[in-house]
Amino acid sequence: MIQAEVQAPALPMVFVESHAKRRLKRYWLPALGAAIVAVWAVVILVGPAILPYGPTAVDLTARLQPPSTAHLFGTDDLGRDVFSRVLLGARLSLPTGLAVVVIGGFLGIGIGGIAAYAGGKLEEGLMRTADVVLAFPPLILAMAIAAARGVGVGNAVLSLVAIWWPQYARLSRSLILVQRDQEYVQAAHALGHGAVRTLLRHILPNTAGPIVALLTLDVGNAIITFSSLSFLGLGAVPPTPEWGAMVAAGRLLINQWWVSGMPGLAILSVVLAFNFLGDGLRDWLDPRTRQR
Amino acid sequence: MNRCNTHRCVRSATILIGLLVLCLSVILGVGQAAAGAKTVLVLGTDISDTNSLDPQRQFVYSAPITEHAIYETLITMTPGNYKDAKPLLATAWETVENGAALVFHLRPNVKFVTGNPLTADDVKFTFERLKYLKDDASALAENIARVDVIDPLTVKVVLADKTQPLLPFLIAPNFGIVDSKIVKQQGGLSTPDADKNDKATAFLDQRSVGTGPYTLTRWSRSTEIELVRNPSYWRQPAAFERVLIRHIPDSATQVLQLKRGDIDAALNLTFDQLNSLRGTSGINIVKGQSLDFMYVAITSSPDLSQPLSNKLARQALMYGIDYDGIIKGLIGGDAIRPASFIPVGLGGSTTDLTREIGYRQDLDKARALLAQAGLPNGFAFDLSYGSGADVGGVSYEVVAQKLQADLARVKIQANLKPMEQGNLRTAYRKGDLAATITFWNPDAMDASLWADPTVQRVAKRVRWEPDTAAVALAKQAAGELNPQKRDALYVQFQKLLIDQANLCVLFQPVYSHAIRDNITGYQLTAAGWQVDLYDIKPR
Amino acid sequence: MSRKYVAARVGVTVVMALAATLVVFLVAHFIPVDPIQAQLGDLASSKPEIVARYRAHWGLDKPLWEQYLIFLQKLSRGDLGQSIATRRPVLDDIKQYAPASFELGTLTIVLAVSVGIPLGVLAAIKRDGWLDHLARGVSLVGVSAPTFWLAFLALALFYGGLEIAPSPGRLDAGAMPPANFTGLYLIDSLVAGDLRTFASAFAHLLLPSIVLAATTTGVITRTTRASMLDTLDQDYIRTARAKGVREWGVLLRHALRNALIPIFTLGGVAYGQLLSGAVMTETIFAFPGMGRYAFQSAVVLDFPAISGITLIVGLTYLIVNLVVDLSYAVIDPRVVRR
Repeated sequence: MIQAEVQAPALPMVFVESHAKRRLKRYWLPALGAAIVAVWAVVILVGPAILPYGPTAVDLTARLQPPSTAHLFGTDDLGRDVFSRVLLGARLSLPTGLAVVVIGGFLGIGIGGIAAYAGGKLEEGLMRTADVVLAFPPLILAMAIAAARGVGVGNAVLSLVAIWWPQYARLSRSLILVQRDQEYVQAAHALGHGAVRTLLRHILPNTAGPIVALLTLDVGNAIITFSSLSFLGLGAVPPTPEWGAMVAAGRLLINQWWVSGMPGLAILSVVLAFNFLGDGLRDWLDPRTRQR
Repeated sequence: MNRCNTHRCVRSATILIGLLVLCLSVILGVGQAAAGAKTVLVLGTDISDTNSLDPQRQFVYSAPITEHAIYETLITMTPGNYKDAKPLLATAWETVENGAALVFHLRPNVKFVTGNPLTADDVKFTFERLKYLKDDASALAENIARVDVIDPLTVKVVLADKTQPLLPFLIAPNFGIVDSKIVKQQGGLSTPDADKNDKATAFLDQRSVGTGPYTLTRWSRSTEIELVRNPSYWRQPAAFERVLIRHIPDSATQVLQLKRGDIDAALNLTFDQLNSLRGTSGINIVKGQSLDFMYVAITSSPDLSQPLSNKLARQALMYGIDYDGIIKGLIGGDAIRPASFIPVGLGGSTTDLTREIGYRQDLDKARALLAQAGLPNGFAFDLSYGSGADVGGVSYEVVAQKLQADLARVKIQANLKPMEQGNLRTAYRKGDLAATITFWNPDAMDASLWADPTVQRVAKRVRWEPDTAAVALAKQAAGELNPQKRDALYVQFQKLLIDQANLCVLFQPVYSHAIRDNITGYQLTAAGWQVDLYDIKPR
Repeated sequence: MSRKYVAARVGVTVVMALAATLVVFLVAHFIPVDPIQAQLGDLASSKPEIVARYRAHWGLDKPLWEQYLIFLQKLSRGDLGQSIATRRPVLDDIKQYAPASFELGTLTIVLAVSVGIPLGVLAAIKRDGWLDHLARGVSLVGVSAPTFWLAFLALALFYGGLEIAPSPGRLDAGAMPPANFTGLYLIDSLVAGDLRTFASAFAHLLLPSIVLAATTTGVITRTTRASMLDTLDQDYIRTARAKGVREWGVLLRHALRNALIPIFTLGGVAYGQLLSGAVMTETIFAFPGMGRYAFQSAVVLDFPAISGITLIVGLTYLIVNLVVDLSYAVIDPRVVRR
């Protein structure tokens, strides 16, 4: 500390430079993630205008062709251009994956928070409900919702949200459980801060890490799970392109790796992007790491 | 304190490494060595639907291949010829009492695997048990009124309705003759109360009491079925000591196992997978023409679809489909197409007939018909099918998308509605679907088993009320004994169906199994049991 | 943790599991699938006599509330009913498939935890370094690639290509399973003293476990890393270092221990999911487990099977989560004991 003071006059210039460099080193991945998301956002917005081929243009004479200059990502088992289908599939897969994770995640976090904070019988009730929902056969729920409300993407998302929230509830409850009896929370109480304010301003930043990690991990999972519903006719209806469904449909084509591989890489890119962004978000939120 | 930590670290690291070494040695040590002389035949297929090996109860797709090898019927049919019955346990048979009964003469000196001799009592017991169990398969025995024993080697089967066929039904593995003494001991019944009181199924699920070349020793659900050679078989003993029918639900896994030689035959490969195996050394593709269809059932009910209730619109739809494209493009030519609902190979149905009177793609004609129907701008309808399912390796989903693309060219918009299997069956059989792509496989080897349902249960599903003339025609053809006259009647019937346009047969697949070249004699049949295991020998 | 709490929890568990079956029962009846139609062949389905017989046998001709009452009655006698699809007691089906999933799930979670936690810890300490990126990359691939993809890739590589993995299935073709004691081949073969079968069963478990572990490891690694980062920032860590505690001690006894809670929570959920089965992995590895059984029962609306499975899976989650909840107070001193 004494040394720092001695060097103080030289610090400002050096400090700014290395600060920037350190920022770059820390935030290049999130920047990359943001870039990927931006690209997909553009693809979603501009969508149909930039497709080289119609995504439903069936041409049995051009089945299963490997990637080439004519078809960047090759063709599938009905002769359709995989590149066009991947681009168009972004419009369905990305938003639904995000919707499931965001809605299901925040619902779960909320429920878990209430449970942890309220304690007692309410906590028991909510957590046991979470356990039961985890045990519920997801397919039955999806089929029932489809029977009651009709088949469609919205109802499929509803089914997924209904089964998605319990793990977030359990996670957030377990994290908040640890914090709620800590001294700083009691101090906040003593200062007169309300429960919600304490929760948001004090507890959440300390517990955000694992929650953000799970949220970002789950995006890919949600896209793939959505495809298993489409597979059963409960989600996206063919021939609408949907990444997860494309991966599943191409699974048995062992030698034609691009039919599954290209949409798979699209999903991977989205997962990577959100994970990098998530890490960056976490670093940015955490007051301690921001200083360093 | 710190020393403890390091100690613990080192200990856990050592344990981990030890585990890894163990794993590696286990894997490498247990890796297979191939067998020497071939004594075991291994087939890879999906047997998860098998829920019983009791021959009078089983009625699923995967069980007959086993049943046919362990139980034998009185008569049988050889691959490719589904008109002439061949002797098996019966050496001769004749129609008596003006068609009211069939008399079978049993082969002498045939023993069950249990040691008991085959007699007419066993035939009577088997047939009546099938009838009175009133289970899924019992519908096959509907036309049997009763069975009389004339003498130990002669049995008379009396028909309930002599105008309807019975003989072709009897090749079905459900008529596989069981040792009645043993089955009775195990609580089996052939009396009218069998549906409530028969208790032999649990026993028959684990042991077989038939006369076949193999016998059942073990059935491990969703794992494998094990058969061993029957040493007292009445013909030349079977070529393999053991047969294993291994449960491998995933076709891609079947490919891997076949290539590695862990299975000798893969039964459920897709068209593209078979393609990729062509030319691989050590692997051959065996093909067999089937009598199954993939077809589209289209409703006549205005409540379900106003446009489709108009016959002309349905006909237009059928002229819009690119049949050749489906067969060449999606199946590589491994299929044929009948004119209507009677398969090529039966009832006067041939590919020439299809060319003569059947539908083909004719977009102009389709458009003209639509105009005539008052639908010059086309129409929309819902096309349902089973998700995740396929016929002979061609998935409904792919075919549906192809149909959608074809019909769009004549402005008919097909809205695809995939459904899970249970849902589809329920809705389709209730007659609640506008259009369905579905599958037909034979109840028995007689054209009436295709014709009759079209005016009975299938008609209900498409909400068609056939006029009495149509129903009478089907019945007349079924009862006609002269083959030429019968075929002519069926051709007439098919013209009627074509005009009515409720049923559109897309293709009649040629099934392919991939086998290793260390076995021979592998032949596919359309008669229901896929392959006759007895014929297969090591090369 | 007081005995009273545990006893009360167990009681609640049983009640909730039954409640789950009731909810499933009600929800499933919304679905317009007729399990009898789904089961019968085409010809038989048009014979009213046969259909009626089937409906009567499975009690589907009775009103809903009566059906559920009969279910409860049978349950009190230990009878879960008869599956419409497999025609045998649901309990027998579960006795066959649940142990397979148990072995697979347990081995998977062991692998995932033994790899995931150390990897996550290392990623946290060497933050933003190459090891961190590697760990994160590995975990992301495991999570973004669908399981069926990884499963087939692994099978094609290790079984098809390198030929070091055994054939798919619980055992080799034609192999006799060990005498049935628990249904867990690993245990039963040891009990019978049959080491060859033990080795074979273990070898067959290894590849599917590794495939499933890929996804779970991803979750555990990321959670460990995130949680460790949170913990490592805390003041008491600096205190411990200042007190002169060696780095390993700091990491393991203080940082990791306090970071364990979310890892346990998610690990518990993952374990529950694994025990309920993994349908695609089971399909590709021809491994007869609960995942495929549950899936096939749902698709044809096999009510008895669905109810039985929900009961068992419900109990599984409730027990696993109970153990996890009880562990919080043990592992992390900051949690106030009840």
